[in-house]
Amino acid sequence: MSVKNFWLSVRNLLKALRDGDLLLHVKADKYYIHVMYVFLLMWVSILLSLQVDKTLTKAGANKAAIEELRIHHTESEAALVKIKSASATEARLKRLGSQAQMPKEPATVIKRK
Amino acid sequence: MSQRQSEIKDTIENRDRIHVVTFFLSMVFLAMGIMIVVWIVKIQASYTVDDKVIGLFRPVVQKHVDTPVRGRILATDGRPLAISAPLYDLYMDCTVLKRSYQESGKDSLETVWQNKARELAVSLSRIFPEKSADGWVDAILTGRAKGSKYLKIRKNVDLETLRRVQAFPLYNEGAYRGGLIVEAHQERIYPYDSLARRVIGYVKEQNRIGLENSFDSELHGRDGYEWRRVTDDGSWVRDLDSTSVQVKDGNDIRTTLNVDFQDIADKALRAQIDADDDVRAGICIIMEAKTGAIRAMVNLSRGATPQTTLWERENLVLRQVGEQGSVMKTVTLLSLVEDGYVKTLEQTIPTNNGFVPNYNQDVHILDYQRETGRRDISVMHGFEISSNYVFTYLAETYYGKKPQEMFDHIYSYRLGEAFDFDIPGLGTPVVNRPDTPGWSKTTLGTTAYGYSISVTPLHIASFYNGIANKGTMMKPYLVESIEKDGKVLRKFEPSSLNESICSPATADTVTRALRAVVNTGTATRLKSAKLSVAGKTGTARVVLSANERGGSKDPYSDLSGRKKFQGTFVGFFPAEDPKYTILVTVYSYPSHRNFYGGTKPALAVREIVDKIYAIDPAWRPEIHPVGKTRQTTQEQ
Repeated sequence: MSVKNFWLSVRNLLKALRDGDLLLHVKADKYYIHVMYVFLLMWVSILLSLQVDKTLTKAGANKAAIEELRIHHTESEAALVKIKSASATEARLKRLGSQAQMPKEPATVIKRK
Repeated sequence: MSQRQSEIKDTIENRDRIHVVTFFLSMVFLAMGIMIVVWIVKIQASYTVDDKVIGLFRPVVQKHVDTPVRGRILATDGRPLAISAPLYDLYMDCTVLKRSYQESGKDSLETVWQNKARELAVSLSRIFPEKSADGWVDAILTGRAKGSKYLKIRKNVDLETLRRVQAFPLYNEGAYRGGLIVEAHQERIYPYDSLARRVIGYVKEQNRIGLENSFDSELHGRDGYEWRRVTDDGSWVRDLDSTSVQVKDGNDIRTTLNVDFQDIADKALRAQIDADDDVRAGICIIMEAKTGAIRAMVNLSRGATPQTTLWERENLVLRQVGEQGSVMKTVTLLSLVEDGYVKTLEQTIPTNNGFVPNYNQDVHILDYQRETGRRDISVMHGFEISSNYVFTYLAETYYGKKPQEMFDHIYSYRLGEAFDFDIPGLGTPVVNRPDTPGWSKTTLGTTAYGYSISVTPLHIASFYNGIANKGTMMKPYLVESIEKDGKVLRKFEPSSLNESICSPATADTVTRALRAVVNTGTATRLKSAKLSVAGKTGTARVVLSANERGGSKDPYSDLSGRKKFQGTFVGFFPAEDPKYTILVTVYSYPSHRNFYGGTKPALAVREIVDKIYAIDPAWRPEIHPVGKTRQTTQEQ
């Protein structure tokens, strides 16, 4: 392309921009559906990305909640087994003035396992 | 000008214009190139990186390291013996918003904050009463005046307490306004406190002992990490485009320990030794006869002085290598019966006034002669009264010319070596054989009644378990499986140390002798136990350390005649069909008293046997219907 033709093209481009028919000049109407499709894909991509972020945030919060429950369960279990031991029970009964003691004879059962 | 000349002129003009444009463009590019080079040189030489600029170009991500949760140590029924949970240290930044209030010039805001701090102090005093409400107000406001950013509220609080604290006035407005600083750290919790602590062990920074140490590779798990990025709404989420390693929590260890048995043994032992200041320590082992599974292992000891409390300070069961005394007579008896030298327990030997050449006289034989008028004694009676003379005589008579034969037995009972155990550090026995420097002309006889040979209590318990198990000596073990979320990953089956230390007939014969010890011998305190017990007492003097001797030439006593004793009872129950093997040993400080195996250890064993009888499902009686029962249609 000569310099003359180049400047001519630039002039036509600016003129088409001024007149608002640039897209018609570049025959964008012919590729309209493709352009829209690209926009749709981009929109879906952004939407999915946001949804993924939302899901990951939710998963993180759930993980933290589960971890908290696990800790709570562990602490409760420790507290429970501490008071469940035979000597702890005996000591508690004694403190409360109970006459109950550990069994001295084995329990009678219907069928021994 | 001809047409030809005109064309040539146009062409030349045209070329000149192209040359001008090209030249102009090349100059522009050249200038740009120079500028770029100068810019690069400038950047390399003098440009300093502005973090704000870098921050704009750098994706907002951070590495998050996940620490694994340490696996649990469980009792045989699944009750937790050691578990991990985070504990929280609470601090307060007393200076929050102080500067911004000052800069705004609004004193009312500062007043509001301080009023809320007063409400906070009231709440804190309720949950942490070591300071009154006024005390907490004073601490917070003084901290605010002095610019304290790290006022300690309380260390090691649990999650529930943390949540309560976070709901207090001021703290419920978030860290930015309330100034609460929470620092979490993983902590090991032992719900049963001191129970079986030497077996379970502990973790303190890099120091570990017991199962916590020997199974650390299973319990520890594997660290993980992931990269996290910030989302549009400011949340941190995993960056799926980056690499990550999944954290792997530690596996659980299921032990063979029975918490109830451990509790019973611990309590029974304490009952015998806690009030006695002359007792330094007491141990107990309960082992399942058929498998070798350790159901309880107690290691209670005091510190250097009798005033210190009993605690699981050291693993004496594994590490107390010492002369065990008369409990070793069973080793001699088993060997004699197995070799056919003692054909029946009623076989007699001459009493010889309790004298064997080269050995000290056994004065108990003189008592026996006086009381019975006899000049012979049966092997059974010698065992019942635990006569040193009888076993010296038997050893010298039958093994005197071939001592290696007796020592071969000792090694076959695995009493000469440290076998593999789930907790490392089992003491190595010291055996004086004919080919070792410690051998003398009295070694054979003294070995026969439990001196000149040093073993651990675990060795002794394993040996007696072999007799209980009709000759099959099981390997003691503490861990039955490695688990993950309740699923068994690896199971450790029982194994034997020696498939046959003796024939079943020999085991039965020795069991009869052990039963006689309880019925009419040195352990009659166990005669009326709720289950029949077969076993042997042992009382041994313990060699004093140089400090304890204080210049005395006698290795067993100090200058004032004080001696250290260890009294042991070891046996199994029920004698007819043994289910458990038990050993209890009591160790004394140097004292003028004697500590016999038939006293405190036997009493502890009796309490343990009676209580196990009451709770073990094996001895629960079944209801048998009496009278008519309604028959079902099918039966009719």
